[in-house]
Amino acid sequence: MMKLKKNLIRKILLFSLWSVLIAASGVVQAGQADGPKSIQLKIGTILASNEGKNFDPRLSAMKSQLNVFKYQSYQLLKEEAKVVLWKGNAAFEIPGGRSLTVTPQEYRDNRISLKVRLMKGDQSFLDTVVRLRNGGRFLLGGPAHETGVLILSIGASTR
Amino acid sequence: MSQTINCEGVKKLLGAWWDGELGGDEAGVVREHLELCPSCRSEAEKLERLHNSIREALKERAGEIRFDVFWAGLEKRIEEKRPWWARLADWANPAFGLGRIGWAISLAVILAIGVLSLPDSYRAWFFGSNRGRTRIESIDAHGFNVAVFREAQTRTTVIWLFSDEESNDEAQEESDSENLTL
Repeated sequence: MMKLKKNLIRKILLFSLWSVLIAASGVVQAGQADGPKSIQLKIGTILASNEGKNFDPRLSAMKSQLNVFKYQSYQLLKEEAKVVLWKGNAAFEIPGGRSLTVTPQEYRDNRISLKVRLMKGDQSFLDTVVRLRNGGRFLLGGPAHETGVLILSIGASTR
Repeated sequence: MSQTINCEGVKKLLGAWWDGELGGDEAGVVREHLELCPSCRSEAEKLERLHNSIREALKERAGEIRFDVFWAGLEKRIEEKRPWWARLADWANPAFGLGRIGWAISLAVILAIGVLSLPDSYRAWFFGSNRGRTRIESIDAHGFNVAVFREAQTRTTVIWLFSDEESNDEAQEESDSENLTL
């Protein structure tokens, strides 16, 4: 009889522990839903070409990522950072009369959703929605510029 | 009430009697029979000799065994602190009988539901960091050519727009006609 009672107490304790864990995960999720108020966007404009063999030392943090491409020379033309509110726009001037508009859409599970539009004048070239890790970045490349192509490094992190 | 037993029955019980496994009445019947029956007594004496020779052999071999090392190891295992998870399993075992397959399956299902109900950031601990990579949710290149690729080693996600010279398809011809370049 005593043994049965002891086992029942153990069962109750273990189920309670599990319930607490599930409830705690729900609280964490609810807390994340509030999310940060703004995010910082960092846009780096890189000129990649096969003229010369220069690697801009300011790009050293991105060297492994840029190795994905087979260009011989990489030069950072411009670097710009802007803090923007959710659903707000941030426009960045890109060399060659282009512009990049980034709109933060959503923050969930430590990931940021960005709407990105690349334009030249009034003409849209690209509209995309990208979901990236908080503090992460992705590369957008291809537009021709001078003797090479432009590669845009687009990064976002919460504030 | 006195019991009687024949030689066949006594011979079957001799081993148990010698080992002291018989109850008081049964042991008394066997003992009485052995006092009266020379044939069964002879069997009992054979059994005694066999037991003695085995005991002597074991004693002889046991002298060669290093019991001090064995005991030292055993004491160490008794005294050493078991890991928390082993103690927790011992504690939970009487309640749930974790050795039983039914409980094991139920627990696995509960765990799976629990893991799936966790936020993505916690699930990444279980499923690895691939879930943290960049994901392109939608893309519209407005008739221009575009490629998306991921490099696994550096976890680099790239959206690549083709320039006019690289593209020969219909969309490019259309863009040429409008004198547009990337």
